[in-house]
Amino acid sequence: MPDAALGALLLSAAVALAVCGMVWLALTMDTHWQQVRVDAAPTRSATVALRLCGSLALFASLLLCLRADHPTMAPLVWVLSITGAAVGVAFALAWRPRWLALLVVWLPAGRSAN
Amino acid sequence: MQQSFRQSMTWLHTWFGLVLGYVLMVAFFFGALSVFDREIDRWATPHTRFEPRPMPSYDAMLAPIFKQIVPEAHELDEARSRVGTLAPTLPVMNWAAYTTHRDPVLRLFAEFAITNNPNDPDDHVHGTLTIDPRNGTVLPHDQLKIGSEFFYPLHFSLHLEWKQLGYWIVALAALVMMAALVSGVVMHRRILRELFTFRPHKHTRRSVLDLHNLTGVVALPFHFVFALSGLTIFAGIYLPVSETMFKPQAQAHAMAEAKTKGVAFRPAGVAAPLASVDAMVVEAKRRWDARGMPGEVGFLVVNHVGDVNSYVSIYRAGSDRVALVGQAVHFDGPSGRVVHEEPPPSAVAGVNEFLTGLHLQHFKHWLLRWFYVLGGLLGCVCIATGFLFFVEKRKRMHASTGVSGARWVDALAVTAVSGMVLAALSMLVVNRVLPADLAGRADWEKGAFWAAWVLALLHALWRSAPVQQARIAPAWREQCWAVVLLAVSAVLLNWITTGDHLLATLGRAYWPVAGFDLALLVSAGLAAFAALHLRRRERQARAQPLAEPVDEPTTTSAAPEAVRA
Repeated sequence: MPDAALGALLLSAAVALAVCGMVWLALTMDTHWQQVRVDAAPTRSATVALRLCGSLALFASLLLCLRADHPTMAPLVWVLSITGAAVGVAFALAWRPRWLALLVVWLPAGRSAN
Repeated sequence: MQQSFRQSMTWLHTWFGLVLGYVLMVAFFFGALSVFDREIDRWATPHTRFEPRPMPSYDAMLAPIFKQIVPEAHELDEARSRVGTLAPTLPVMNWAAYTTHRDPVLRLFAEFAITNNPNDPDDHVHGTLTIDPRNGTVLPHDQLKIGSEFFYPLHFSLHLEWKQLGYWIVALAALVMMAALVSGVVMHRRILRELFTFRPHKHTRRSVLDLHNLTGVVALPFHFVFALSGLTIFAGIYLPVSETMFKPQAQAHAMAEAKTKGVAFRPAGVAAPLASVDAMVVEAKRRWDARGMPGEVGFLVVNHVGDVNSYVSIYRAGSDRVALVGQAVHFDGPSGRVVHEEPPPSAVAGVNEFLTGLHLQHFKHWLLRWFYVLGGLLGCVCIATGFLFFVEKRKRMHASTGVSGARWVDALAVTAVSGMVLAALSMLVVNRVLPADLAGRADWEKGAFWAAWVLALLHALWRSAPVQQARIAPAWREQCWAVVLLAVSAVLLNWITTGDHLLATLGRAYWPVAGFDLALLVSAGLAAFAALHLRRRERQARAQPLAEPVDEPTTTSAAPEAVRA
């Protein structure tokens, strides 16, 4: 594969992972979980899973950035990917929260309000 | 007397943010545009719409052109006011050429010595030329490069050249911005809990504050680093110790540095021809290859032109890393021998290069460039929503007590947001309408920019009267429509005057122009959406009585109510 195409692929994956990571971290919060799923809050194990997956996704995103660019440039791309992802997640939660459910279909139903 | 730390931080954030927010708006918006300054140049100077290319041959093309450079007339006038009469021809000190992967045209620079200034033996003036590197044609000097010569300097100098006042105002604003970021973090009690919180369906004050917090917090690293690196870049202006207090030390340091490099600090006064610079370029490239970092020439300098002490410095273009240029190889001019190959920078120099490079961004990374635009625009949204929150918080109280503060702030906010966009668009429209060979064309374009901005201010002052009744100023909606009109006109005028319509530029993948046209159309779309939305809000507000209850949400991260205008 030519270098340019490989770089573009790596960076696309890095941005996609940053988005996934920020979605998962956002959904550890009850208010956002409620916007996305009908139930009140994620189960305790789901919260742990979300936190773990979120952190791992962000870390993997950093590794891909480092693979794609010079080490001085990669952190800039990574930090700003996270910024962009955070804005995207906030807007998605505001206008199209149910779309984010796609990223947590694998999690069981949460606790109901009591 | 402030009651608590948080309240005093709130006071600082509110009032410093309000006063310098207008300056920051200019720095952020035109800074964001500067990310694509070269591309805006292509749009505004259609005869330069061709592909960038590496540094052309010095021996075959550049050498004779450098000899044509003359000092800038206004710099000569200033020099005369310093030293009286000048020699008819000033001796050339050095020649330089700088290019990046985004520059189709090549800018050449020269420095000329003022030899009869007893107060400053290093006094000099500058000259510059822009050429078409395909054939060496000298391009007309009077066509304004709107991106790199107007929008870009505007974002750090405000074009207030008198005593460098603009630089100082922007520096103060950058400093205040860092204070505003810190105080903002102190005021905001739920940074992590509300990181993703934006509630557009709640009342205006709530949603505006959400957006202010969101854009401030998620882009906090960007905002902070750009304010800091901006200050670092101009540290030499703000703290000119090497020109004043420590001038002898700075001179001694420069001499010592020249000595370690093995290059001459001063010309010997003995004429000597220059060896082949093209051969030196070949050697520099060979050395970069050997270091595992093949690259192109970014910066080429001939020092002490025509002297036996002349030397040539060749810097690698930093397209693939953050630092602008680096890995310099210095050659002895008359013999063409390598005298010094610069080692990797020291830690301090490396940090400085990194901060400067990340702000000036001459690297080749389109994703990161767009992220910079995003960061800049998030900064604009953060500042603009700060103004709106200020107005929203006070307008009812001001309406009932007859104070006009909220109206003034709102009118200035209109001017700083839509008015600024209108000024930039007017400049582009005028650029496409004026004949290419009009004398003083650049002055007309600049005049159009400032005139449009003043008109936007007058319009905003006139059409913000309803704020006095705690309603929405129609100025916002009307200026949004003006943005739509001008942005679409700019795209159409580009088509009419150059034939480069979007299908043509997209077809041949000429992204500088296609991308800018697309950005203009997207701006028009967003402005139209905003205008329609504002119209709906204005109608709703008219339908409701004035005594709308202000429901202060209990979960707010809003600033304590202790602070009132």
